Amino acid sequence: MVRLITHNLLACHAKGCTSNNFPLAFSNVQIEIREAEFNPEFLKNFIPKVEWNALVDTARQLGDTSLPLEQPEMLDEEFLKSLHHVLLEIHVEEGVMTCPNCKHEYPISNGIPNMLLAEHEIG
Amino acid sequence: MFFKYLIVFAQAHHEFRIPELQSVAKIHGFDISLPEGEIETDRPFMIVGLQSENHARQLAAIYEFYAQGSTYEEVHVQNRANQALWSRYKLNTSFKFFVTAFNHKLPQTQQRQVVESFSYTDFMGKIDMKNPDIVLGCFEEYVEKKGMIRDRHDDHGQFRQVYLGRWIEELGSARVLIKTFDVKKRNYFGNTSMESEVSLLMANQTLASPGKLIYDPFLGTETMAYPAAYFGAQVLGSDIDGRQMQGKGSDRAPDLILYNYTGHLLTFDITHNPWRCGGLFDAIVTDPPYGVRASAKRLGRKKDSVPKGWRCISNIEAILAHDSPYIPPTKPYELSNLAV
Ligand SMILES: C[S@@+](CC[C@H](N)C(=O)[O-])C[C@H]1O[C@@H](n2cnc3c(N)ncnc32)[C@H](O)[C@@H]1O
Ligand SMILES: [Zn+2]
Repeated sequence: MVRLITHNLLACHAKGCTSNNFPLAFSNVQIEIREAEFNPEFLKNFIPKVEWNALVDTARQLGDTSLPLEQPEMLDEEFLKSLHHVLLEIHVEEGVMTCPNCKHEYPISNGIPNMLLAEHEIG
Repeated sequence: MFFKYLIVFAQAHHEFRIPELQSVAKIHGFDISLPEGEIETDRPFMIVGLQSENHARQLAAIYEFYAQGSTYEEVHVQNRANQALWSRYKLNTSFKFFVTAFNHKLPQTQQRQVVESFSYTDFMGKIDMKNPDIVLGCFEEYVEKKGMIRDRHDDHGQFRQVYLGRWIEELGSARVLIKTFDVKKRNYFGNTSMESEVSLLMANQTLASPGKLIYDPFLGTETMAYPAAYFGAQVLGSDIDGRQMQGKGSDRAPDLILYNYTGHLLTFDITHNPWRCGGLFDAIVTDPPYGVRASAKRLGRKKDSVPKGWRCISNIEAILAHDSPYIPPTKPYELSNLAV
C-alpha cells in the first residue's frame, strides 16, 4: 500500500545518493482509491511534517489537482478533506518509483514497495 | 482534591503496571497520585489518588477504597470511620459482597465469616449475586508461599494486608480489549507473534491515539501494529521480509476488517532505511528480532556502532532498548527492555 503519506516520507537511499534524492517519481502506476476514515486530528498533527511541494507535485502527476500550490494557513474542512483524500485514499498498487538523482528504481508490487538495496548499492 | 481508589492488578507483566497507569491517565487527561516512596510493583494491590470516579472508570479492576489493615479489627475501625463513603447504599441498594484471597485459598465457610463480620454496616438492600447495584470486594493478600510447606488449615487470616472497596465499572481500558486482540483468534499469525497483552500494553505506552503516526520497523505479521491501529493511530510498518506482511493472501482479510487496520507496508532492511529526515514518527512500537525464533537478517557487511540509517528516526520517543537507538540484532533481550 503505497499511499502518498508514505511516499512523502521516502527518499532514495542508494549508495552515494544524498542530494536531490526526493521525491521519488512514480511511473507505470496502477491506482486504486479506497475510502479511509476522515481524521482531522491526524491531519493537523501530520501537516507540519509534510514536504508540501513534493506532495502537490506527486498528487498532480497522479491526476489529483485538489491541493493548492501553497500550503494554506487556514485549515478549513474542505482543505482537510482534500488532503485526507490525497494522503490516505490514493493507493498505488503497482508501478515504479524512480530516484530523480541516481535513477535507481524501486518497484511496487501488490501494493508493497520494495526498498531493499542489493549489497553493492548500500552506502 | 484526590480520593482514594484501590487497584487490583492482573497477574502478568507487573513491570508495565505503573507506566500503563500513567499512560492511561495521560491519554484521558487526568491526574493520578501514586503512593509515596518506593512502589512494590509486584504486589497486586495499590491505593492511588484520583480526582473523580469518572477518571477511575478509565481503569480496569478498580475499587473505591474503604479500608485496609493487617487485621480485620483494623479494617473495621477504618471502615466505620469512612462511613460517609458507603452509608448512602444502606437503603434500597442491592449488593453483592465477595471475599477473595491472593496467594491463598480461602474456604467458603471462612469467606462467609468475613462477610458476617461486616454486618454492622447494616445494608438493608437485597443481596443479588447476578445483577447487583453495587459490588463490594474484600481482598486478603497473603505472602507468596513458594516452596514453603504450610498447614493448609492453619493460616487463614495470616494475611499480609486486607483491603475493602466498592467496585467501579470500567468504561474500556486496554485490558478489556485484550480479548479482542487475542492472537490465537486471528486467522493468520506467524511464529513470531507477540503475546497480545504485551502488544496492547505497548500500544498504550506510546499513547497510540487518533492523530498519532506510529512506526514498526520490524513489522513481521503485524501483531504490534494492530492494537495501535485499534486505538486510532495511523500505523506504518516495514520488514526486511515482505512475505509475512502479505499474510496468506485472502486469509488475512477478516483481520483487517476486525482491527480496522490499514497499515502501510514496505520492504527494506531497517539498517539501510529510506526514510527522509525530519522527525517523521510520533512513536515506534516494535518487537525486534530476537533469539532463534526470528533471527536478525541484515544486508551488507557487519559494521560496528550505530548504523547510520537510524540517524533520522532515532530521536523520537522510541519503545526500544533504553539508551541505544539500535538493538544489536543478535543479542537476546527481555521483553521489559523494550519499554522506554
Ligand atoms: C520478532 S519479529 C517481529 C514480530 C512481529 N511483531 C510479528 O507480529 O510478527 C522480527 C521481524 O524483524 C524482521 N527483521 C529482522 N532483521 C531485520 C532488519 N534488519 N530490517 C528489517 N526487518 C528485520 C524479521 O523479518 C521479522 O519479521
Ligand atoms: Zn538515488
